[in-house]
Amino acid sequence: MISRPIKEGFSGVGRHLAMAISSAIAVTITLLIISLFIIFSYNVQNFTKNIESSMEISVMVDYNYEDSAKEDVIQKSIEAIDGVKKVTYSNKDQEFQYYIDSFDDEKTKEAFEPFKDDNPMHDAFYVEAASGDQITEIASEIQKIEGVAEVNYGGQSTVSMVDTMAMVRKIGGFLVIGLTLLAIFLIQNTIKLTISARKDEITIMRNVGATNSFIRSPFVIEGIIIGVLGSIIPIALTVWGYTTLYQQSGGILVSNMFKLVKPNPYIFYLAGILLGIGVVVGFVGSLLSVNRYLRWKR
Amino acid sequence: MIECEHVYKQYKNGTNALYDVNFSVKQGEFVYIIGPTGSGKSTLIKLLDGEELPTKGNVEVVGINVGELKRKQVPIYRRNIGVVFQDFRLLPTKTVYENIAYALEVINMKKPQIKKRVDEVLDVVSLKEKKTSFPHELSGGQQQRIAIARAIANRPKVLIADEPTGNLDPGKSDQIMNLLERINKRYGTTILMVTHDLTLVNKHRKRTVVLEHGHIVADLAQGGYVRHDQ
Repeated sequence: MISRPIKEGFSGVGRHLAMAISSAIAVTITLLIISLFIIFSYNVQNFTKNIESSMEISVMVDYNYEDSAKEDVIQKSIEAIDGVKKVTYSNKDQEFQYYIDSFDDEKTKEAFEPFKDDNPMHDAFYVEAASGDQITEIASEIQKIEGVAEVNYGGQSTVSMVDTMAMVRKIGGFLVIGLTLLAIFLIQNTIKLTISARKDEITIMRNVGATNSFIRSPFVIEGIIIGVLGSIIPIALTVWGYTTLYQQSGGILVSNMFKLVKPNPYIFYLAGILLGIGVVVGFVGSLLSVNRYLRWKR
Repeated sequence: MIECEHVYKQYKNGTNALYDVNFSVKQGEFVYIIGPTGSGKSTLIKLLDGEELPTKGNVEVVGINVGELKRKQVPIYRRNIGVVFQDFRLLPTKTVYENIAYALEVINMKKPQIKKRVDEVLDVVSLKEKKTSFPHELSGGQQQRIAIARAIANRPKVLIADEPTGNLDPGKSDQIMNLLERINKRYGTTILMVTHDLTLVNKHRKRTVVLEHGHIVADLAQGGYVRHDQ
């Protein structure tokens, strides 16, 4: 008995091909837009995470506190701050070496050699935050600790950028939900037209004793088929388009900061999501339309 | 088999379609309901097949009080009665076989049984060769015979025919009447036929209930009817 609605669903699509195609096109256009937003949002999310994870606070210790007992107290105080994930110590010799190593030119490196015995660097702590949006707060807490000479982090501009990215991500999420609802509305209206033309059939089905669910099931299957058909082109374009973009750009957009998410397996998950949205849109759209004609007042 | 006791029907717009209607039909009876346009014939059919509820009174068919049925129960109730309409009401996108089979699929009959039953009723209406045809490929008379085949496919105890010959010429109407009489005799199906075709009523004489202005004005056990204005 399960095969009946499936068989009738497919023959319904075949019989009302023009209507089915126009419904599927509505789904296709909406899914293409949804796909773009998901790709954009996910890459922004990934990019933001990368920035967040690379953001760390450097804490310079006052020259007067440079002994292991005092520095141990400073480290413990930093670790006690809420939101601190990891604290790494680096002494002034290591800091000097990092500084020299940052130059590519050998002559410049040699020019700094004489300062080795009169090292101007500070002992330092590098602090990682559990989340990027806590950086400012943690930095100001560290500043209050006795023996801390200077606190540096990416700066307010980096934090603002992370906040902006988070906002973009949220807006992207809302747009995806909004567009899905729009797709349901579009498919509902198109299917409503096909069902409206068949309301006499529904009356006849009722006359011979068919229950609402018996009448409804082929229409719902028809809606799902339309949803699946409508998602084929967006899936193909998304997989091909994103993979090509990734290959052509070498996975980097504009600068090294903007790294694209690798297509495999991400793009296949996205294909699954698009197919899922197509099925849900077809299911809900047809259900809402057919229910309109199944409401019975007497 | 059919009981109407003090049945009243008033529509929301205030129209009194039926007024104190009383009649009963025994099992195996063949009864005509006749009357002019607006006499309440269609409303009576709607009450009998559960599409409308009586404003007052009892409508009982095959032991079921139709007025007390919940909306969800109406499709199940309809499986106990067969209804034939003037406009045939065949599913245009289904073949003859599929149209009849649909009425059996809704009662979850198994496929081999459906096939057997469809063949049987197509034999009764003498249209076995039209099994794979679509409704638009058939004449009006043939479409009505298919509609009758569908109505009797699940062997209902009651068959309600609403102007079944209304769209047919006299020759075809006669064929339909012969078919209904055959079904009445062969299966003992109770038949209630609404018509305004007095030629048929007088030719194929049966008990005749006359409705006028929503009220029963005559119940003629021997049948035959001549209008006062004729």
